[in-house]
Amino acid sequence: MSREAYTPPSLNQNTAGAGSSQPNAFAIGGTGNTFEDTSKPVQYLCGDCDTKVTLKKGDPIRCKECGYRVLYKERTNRMIQFEAR
Amino acid sequence: MAPARKSSISTWSEQYDTIKREQLFRDPPSKRSAYPQLQEAIKPHVESWNYVFAENGQLQHGLRDIGTKTFLDGNGQEPGARRNRLQVRVRQVFLDKSTLPHTNKVEAVKREILPVECRERHVTYRGRFRGRLEYRINNGEWKETVRDFGHLPIMLRSNRCHLEGLSPKELVNRREETEELGGYFIVNGIEKLIRMLIVNRRNFPMAIIRPSFENRGPSYTKYGVTIRSVRPDQTSQTNVLHYLSDGNVTFRFSFRKNEYLIPVLMILKALAETNDREIFEGIVGPAGGKGLESKQFVTDRVELLLRTYKAYNIHSRTKTRAYLGNKFRVVLGVPEDLSDEEAGTEFLRKIVMPHLGSYDVTEANDADKFRMLLFMIRKLYALVEGECTVDNPDAVQNQEILLPGFLYGMLLKEQVDEWLGSIGLSLREWGRNNQWPSFTSPQFEKDFMAKVIRKTNENLGQKVDYFLSTGNLVSPSGLDLQQVSGFTVVAEKINFYRFISHFRMVHRGSFFAQLKTTTVRKLLPESWGFLCPVHTPDGSPCGLLNHLAHKCKISTSNADSTNVPALVAQLGVTSSSEATINDSVVVQLDGKILGFCSPKQAKTIGDTLRYWKVEGTHNVPLDLEIGYIPLSNGGQYPGVYMFSEAARMIRPVKYLPLEKQDMVGPFEQPFMSIACTEPEVASGDSTHVEYDVTNILSIVANQTPFSNFNQSPRNMYQCQMGKQTMGTPGTALKYRTDNKTYRLQTGQTPVVRTPKHNEYGLDNFPNGTNAVVAVISYTGYDMDDAMILNKSAHERGFGHGTIYKAKKIDLAEENKTGRNRSAVTTMFGFAPESIIKAQWRETLDDDGLPRVGIKVREGDAIAASYSVVKDPLTDEYVNKDGVTHIHRYKDSEEAFVEEIKLIGNESGNNDPCQAVSIRFRIPRSPVIGDKFSSRHGQKGVCSQKWPTIDMPFTESGMQPDVIINPHAFPSRMTIGMFVESLAGKSGALHGLAQDSTPFKFKDKEGETAVEYFGHQLKRAGYNYYGNEPMYSGITGEELAADIYVGVVYYQRLRHMVNDKYQVRTTGPVTPLTGQPIKGRAKGGGIRVGEMERDALLAHGTAFLLQDRLMNCSDYTKANICKKCGSFLSTQPSSGQYNRRREGGRVRCRRCSRKALPSDPKSECWEDRKGEKWYGGDEVTVVAVPGVLKYLDVELAAMGIRMNFKVGP
Repeated sequence: MSREAYTPPSLNQNTAGAGSSQPNAFAIGGTGNTFEDTSKPVQYLCGDCDTKVTLKKGDPIRCKECGYRVLYKERTNRMIQFEAR
Repeated sequence: MAPARKSSISTWSEQYDTIKREQLFRDPPSKRSAYPQLQEAIKPHVESWNYVFAENGQLQHGLRDIGTKTFLDGNGQEPGARRNRLQVRVRQVFLDKSTLPHTNKVEAVKREILPVECRERHVTYRGRFRGRLEYRINNGEWKETVRDFGHLPIMLRSNRCHLEGLSPKELVNRREETEELGGYFIVNGIEKLIRMLIVNRRNFPMAIIRPSFENRGPSYTKYGVTIRSVRPDQTSQTNVLHYLSDGNVTFRFSFRKNEYLIPVLMILKALAETNDREIFEGIVGPAGGKGLESKQFVTDRVELLLRTYKAYNIHSRTKTRAYLGNKFRVVLGVPEDLSDEEAGTEFLRKIVMPHLGSYDVTEANDADKFRMLLFMIRKLYALVEGECTVDNPDAVQNQEILLPGFLYGMLLKEQVDEWLGSIGLSLREWGRNNQWPSFTSPQFEKDFMAKVIRKTNENLGQKVDYFLSTGNLVSPSGLDLQQVSGFTVVAEKINFYRFISHFRMVHRGSFFAQLKTTTVRKLLPESWGFLCPVHTPDGSPCGLLNHLAHKCKISTSNADSTNVPALVAQLGVTSSSEATINDSVVVQLDGKILGFCSPKQAKTIGDTLRYWKVEGTHNVPLDLEIGYIPLSNGGQYPGVYMFSEAARMIRPVKYLPLEKQDMVGPFEQPFMSIACTEPEVASGDSTHVEYDVTNILSIVANQTPFSNFNQSPRNMYQCQMGKQTMGTPGTALKYRTDNKTYRLQTGQTPVVRTPKHNEYGLDNFPNGTNAVVAVISYTGYDMDDAMILNKSAHERGFGHGTIYKAKKIDLAEENKTGRNRSAVTTMFGFAPESIIKAQWRETLDDDGLPRVGIKVREGDAIAASYSVVKDPLTDEYVNKDGVTHIHRYKDSEEAFVEEIKLIGNESGNNDPCQAVSIRFRIPRSPVIGDKFSSRHGQKGVCSQKWPTIDMPFTESGMQPDVIINPHAFPSRMTIGMFVESLAGKSGALHGLAQDSTPFKFKDKEGETAVEYFGHQLKRAGYNYYGNEPMYSGITGEELAADIYVGVVYYQRLRHMVNDKYQVRTTGPVTPLTGQPIKGRAKGGGIRVGEMERDALLAHGTAFLLQDRLMNCSDYTKANICKKCGSFLSTQPSSGQYNRRREGGRVRCRRCSRKALPSDPKSECWEDRKGEKWYGGDEVTVVAVPGVLKYLDVELAAMGIRMNFKVGP
């Protein structure tokens, strides 16, 4: 998901989540949305040459460019939100 | 700034050198490191390892020492049958660099495996190890074949490492630290190193008195002379001469962990064709010579020695050798076709002082051994007579270092030796199974490689791997060492001090750790300049685990001393000795007697050789140690003992006659006059002067500022705590997979530091924060070593740290039990047809792995996997059971997923991902209860984060970051901390880095530290003594006293409450006793022990006691019979119609009897079997500790009945 495509969760939903009346409402809603883009293959970065590698299920761990044997998972582009205290 | 730019990158000022450092960070040098001293520090590790596989190195010598092994065919049962000989030898061994295995055909170009990959993949950094095996039958042609010996772990930056000799820039490109030092191994992703061990000095006969010698047998005394004789391949054999109370001498050695005793004369006569007169004169002195009459003691004993040997009735060298060979041929395992005499020669080669010839032994070698043995007998008699004193084996003078590489090589040599020997066993089994075919038969030719050699365990690398990962030495010979475990340690990278200390650490041996006497732990003056007097831990390893002084080097190769014997001969030595040591003393080189001379001449020889060696002329190497021991009255046995071999500690000092650098060893140092400082040079006495007074301190001890102002134990504590600091372990943290790493987020360079800080590049690894510290008793929360943190300082990031934890999830390891181990049975991800809970999807992506950056709590899913089988038709993995297995995050602390590595395999097959390594980040901002310390052994616990508005402030409005209590000082006398505070303050005000080298300031008027820094403070407009008026943050009133405020470098220690707190109300219990289990990790309790119980009793707090020992522990309700007083005879009764208990009543079986028809039915009860009983209803419930019932059961099992009298 690009930065532009991302839309923040709507405000009233947010406040509803923060309110103690429905503590789990936001969480469920949030994960509910995530199911939609599950078809997206997960991207990895080569530990040696830093190229993007897309792996399908059952693929061996190998960089397509340089053959390096360790791949790093890319940081998620989903919003991660938690209370900063 | 101009001179700094002109000089090379490796010269540093004592200032911050900010621009230069910045440049080094931006553009790592592509030629050589900017910190050559760091490289120097680990050299003993790398260089000693390089020697193992070097040309003419340790293993080549070792292979020559192993020689050929001979095996005979036939079963040896028929006498007189001619037997064929098979000879085998390993001619050469090769160790390759780390590469992909040959089976991997996927990669064509990039085949090397770099260390970083081994760390990332949690595997061993190793290279292929092969050997050339040669064999022949009956003196035929040698045939050769190359055998695969498995894989050997490779030391980083050694000559078999891809990182050898790389520049910082190239290192960075290989994802290492700029200052990657190497010197360690990577075993299963963990960095391990072999630590240096102290052993006895090689090739020097040491006089010792050990009361335990008397236990060897009747008439054995405590006197002995021992020599640790080291072969060219660095393996050693200890020979001991024992003095018997009648004057006799026996020769003791241990071989394959067994001890053997031989009359010394037998050895002498076996070594050389000799006669009694020659032996007598060799020990006592020439007949008719000077001073013979004063040696009555020795003459008597030598006479007895010679007379008692007559009983053996063995004459001539041949016969003696045959006799010895006959006795020892089984022990040595010599081939059966070797004659007794040859076996005797083999014995002398292997056992008797092998440093004077361990292979290709010549007559001259044997003559050397003969003369050395005579000298040892001489020294032994001198010891008994009281002519000389004992040599202290605990003094560094008589010690050397067992270097990591040499130990590795010794182990390897033994593995090769054992393997060659095991061919014999394999041959025997093959022979037995095939009716003993002849070695000349075609069957043998066919089977030798395919069946005989293949049956042996050729995986020698595995043994080395085991040694490195466990530190346990599995060896049939014991390698002449006193311990079998604890050779390796993990090179923990908690911070850089810790890491570098591992490589400078010298252990005395775990054998001495159990010793009750403390003599081995003593700090002896001989250690001056070699072992740091400050840097040793307190507690159980105190004095056993030392650290090398930072200028101390260890010789890693033999210096070329071939010219020395000729020079000594020119200087005048005779081949035979006079009777007394007043007339002639010995001159030795590496345990070989060069001759004898008068004591006066000995001094000349010593002085002349030293002049030449420093001058660099006459081919005398600088590393040569010339131990001139002068004649004394009952002191150390005099002579000139020279050492040129490896493994000695040496250190640089200035030689005054030439104003040049001399390398001095611990053997010669006690008899030299080395002035500590230039003014102390005494004319006519001092020959040397120290380069620097701080040369005696280790790297870490050198970093303590103004350590000469402190009470010495405080400096020791700082060396300890410096190594426990949460600092910066390195810059390549992303590519590391340590189980746990600590990191300080806001590290600073200290304002007050020594020039060594720059030289060792410690600014690359900041270890703490400069803090404004006020010494004041302000809130009451700073009692008893507590410290108050300014809350705003905390919010600005003071001491903020992070912990990284790596967790490896290996699916292949989890199902190791299966038949086909290599087959893939599990995969990451969700099983296609399974139910996937939304809760799992909160943390996990499609690939069954968590999202990078997400926060995880206890119990959250961190990986999903499912079982698969390979479909042979489609070649795909299919799931059959539809069950997803979830791996959970188990720690109670919330963490963030920092990084996920998917680990591939090196075999190049198409197996899917089987292992991942997840790194969690746990932020640890300072909280109440976390430990901090200054650099002066002043540790304290944060007791309160005080709001900045309530903190006291100075006239300039400054508020302290840290408040400590003045009571921390009077008893501890850490004046260095006051001086640091002063220096830090003035340094901060003037923008200077302050040089805090110890011993820099004099105790003279006008040259003291206080005056120097006080003056600086005064110039900055502050109080000369560092005190300032302060105002209460609460009332705003001026405090009655001026407060000592300054800047001190504070370290945050890794001991944090979050790792330590332990609370429990209820929780897991031991099933046997019902008491709470032990251990914080398992949620156990803290024991209320006897002392705590006593305290509670003494306070009269009976309820509390009851609560702790009963209610919160193993409180149990138990049924007891009031009548018979037993727990064990009670049982619940059953109802009449169903199996349920009748009204919950419990009856005593013991007090009841079988019901009679006459008994009233209402008073009868039924047991589970349906039998009816009468009586036994006096059962009641009592509350007892659970263990009491257990005790009752245990006692009952022993036939003891407990009877409880239950009151009303």
